[in-house]
Amino acid sequence: MNRHLLALGAALSLALSGCAGVGGGGFGSGYSLIRAARPVNVGNGAMTVMAPREWNRADRSFFTDVRWVEDWTLNGPYLDGISFVTALPHDKRLIREEYKADRQVPKFRSDMTAPEIAAMIETLYRIRGSSVDFRTTGLVPRAFLGTPGFQFDFEHLDGDELWRRGRAVGAVVDGRLYMIVLDAARSHYFDAALPDFEAMVGSAQRRR
Amino acid sequence: MSALDRRAVLTGLGAGTAALATGVADARIRPGDLKPLIGPGHKPTETDEIGLWQQMNRVEEEVAGSNLLIKDERLNAYLKGLIGKVGDPAAKDMRIYLARIPEFNAVMFPTGFTVIFSGLLLRMRDEAQLAGVIAHESSHFLLRHQIRQWRDMKRKSNVLTFLAMGAGIAGGATGTYTGDLVQLAQLGTILSLFRYNRQLEAESDALGVKLLAEAGYDPMSMSETWDQLISEVEWSARERRKRPNRGYSIFSTHPAPRERLNDLKLSAQELTVPGRTYDRGRERYQAAIAPIRHMLFDDQVKLNDPGASQYIVQTLAKDGWSGTLQFYQGEIHRLRNSPQFQAAAAQSYAAAVAYPDAPADAWRWHGIMLTKQGRREEGRAALQRYLSLAPNAPDAPFVRQMVQS
Repeated sequence: MNRHLLALGAALSLALSGCAGVGGGGFGSGYSLIRAARPVNVGNGAMTVMAPREWNRADRSFFTDVRWVEDWTLNGPYLDGISFVTALPHDKRLIREEYKADRQVPKFRSDMTAPEIAAMIETLYRIRGSSVDFRTTGLVPRAFLGTPGFQFDFEHLDGDELWRRGRAVGAVVDGRLYMIVLDAARSHYFDAALPDFEAMVGSAQRRR
Repeated sequence: MSALDRRAVLTGLGAGTAALATGVADARIRPGDLKPLIGPGHKPTETDEIGLWQQMNRVEEEVAGSNLLIKDERLNAYLKGLIGKVGDPAAKDMRIYLARIPEFNAVMFPTGFTVIFSGLLLRMRDEAQLAGVIAHESSHFLLRHQIRQWRDMKRKSNVLTFLAMGAGIAGGATGTYTGDLVQLAQLGTILSLFRYNRQLEAESDALGVKLLAEAGYDPMSMSETWDQLISEVEWSARERRKRPNRGYSIFSTHPAPRERLNDLKLSAQELTVPGRTYDRGRERYQAAIAPIRHMLFDDQVKLNDPGASQYIVQTLAKDGWSGTLQFYQGEIHRLRNSPQFQAAAAQSYAAAVAYPDAPADAWRWHGIMLTKQGRREEGRAALQRYLSLAPNAPDAPFVRQMVQS
């Protein structure tokens, strides 16, 4: 989540630290390989998924990331990314937030309904992804991890003048948010990554 | 010019404001003392200005082709008409671009084109206020501020001053523009109320208010706008329990923005003819922005900057509450996302749906809030109302499930 949003907002936000940018090389900005077709623990380890092909897992930085969220990419964060949200507790955010920032992504609350979670995601993209246009294209019921959940589809035009498309599938289980989010350039990259995303959603399991 | 990259500009924001605090005359500039320095069809004749214009023409091409522009033809024609009213005498040479970026800002470029950010339109109460901003921006062009600033910048070798100017002129005027409208919006010239060369700003205020009065608008409307800008920054900061930090807390021993505001009020009083009724153009303005008004609100409120958004809603409500304003008041509270504001959000949604202009979304949130309060039947009825108003809404399938469960 963080890696991808930073990529979208990289050129734009005044508050970004230098090392949190895109690409390898800097401190804490590397990737490791995810092997295909074997269960992988994601996020804080509360969920496993299987990837149909090899993906790249972004290293997390203690300073900018939260431990319940993990990012993968195929072609780099400007073009595509999948984020795993695993057992995000009440009163925590999808992203690390400066406590005095003017614009703040709302905290997750365990009694949030799907429209509220969708609104939280929209705010995240508007603030951190520098989206100037954000459109909900669908919000439908969908089971996830064997629980009644939601599927949220959206499109956004970002400050770099590129349209991107996203899908979030999630559910609140025992008051914690589990969710997988695909977000990619609307032309080509979204469609190219969607089958992988769906396979991961289908294979996702909670670890107890 | 190219040496000023983005990082240098950003660093300059911090380092530079201090440099600006020195050497500025305190005397007010009288509107009557200023005259436009250029006439219709102005073209540069000196080499450095010709070079600057060539660069700016490339910037304009980029801006004109951006997909962040709001294309609504009637609205663009309306804005162009306003320049025609207050942009004398070079009004015909000026171009205006409306960019969809939720910032309280506008930028004038040295070749006579201006970029208005959509956040500005949200905050203006009437045409007189918007005309005031356009008159101010036009004055930068008419007084050849950008080339004067650019020459000044080259003359001085002080690196702090150099960075400060780079930051203050927002890249736009000096060619440090990097093709990034969002960044431009955050550094543009109105915010320079807090960080730009105050001599030039005071000149633009003085000539701007004169142009405004000559066009028959209430000259006081311009200081109202500056007042709104300062107050919004203050409300935003107070919400986060901090000092206003948009580049002007450094001036705390030298309250430049408020001083400028007072100067502007004095000038406006000087220009006000007793007994004359001035045009505010509120209805005309509301009609012009009506097609995008909800969008403007969404773009601002969903940034979850509750202090600023709250100030905007309260300011617009001075002209009367509406379902739309109540609804966005509810949105502000809901996104604050804390238990004490949930009840306030619920109240605002309940108030919103009592107005005939309540957006369909107000019914959805009203329904969700009622359901969460345990008032299931009422909540269900409100959600059903939402579905009847917006049966094809993208979230209708989910809301239908909420109604059935």
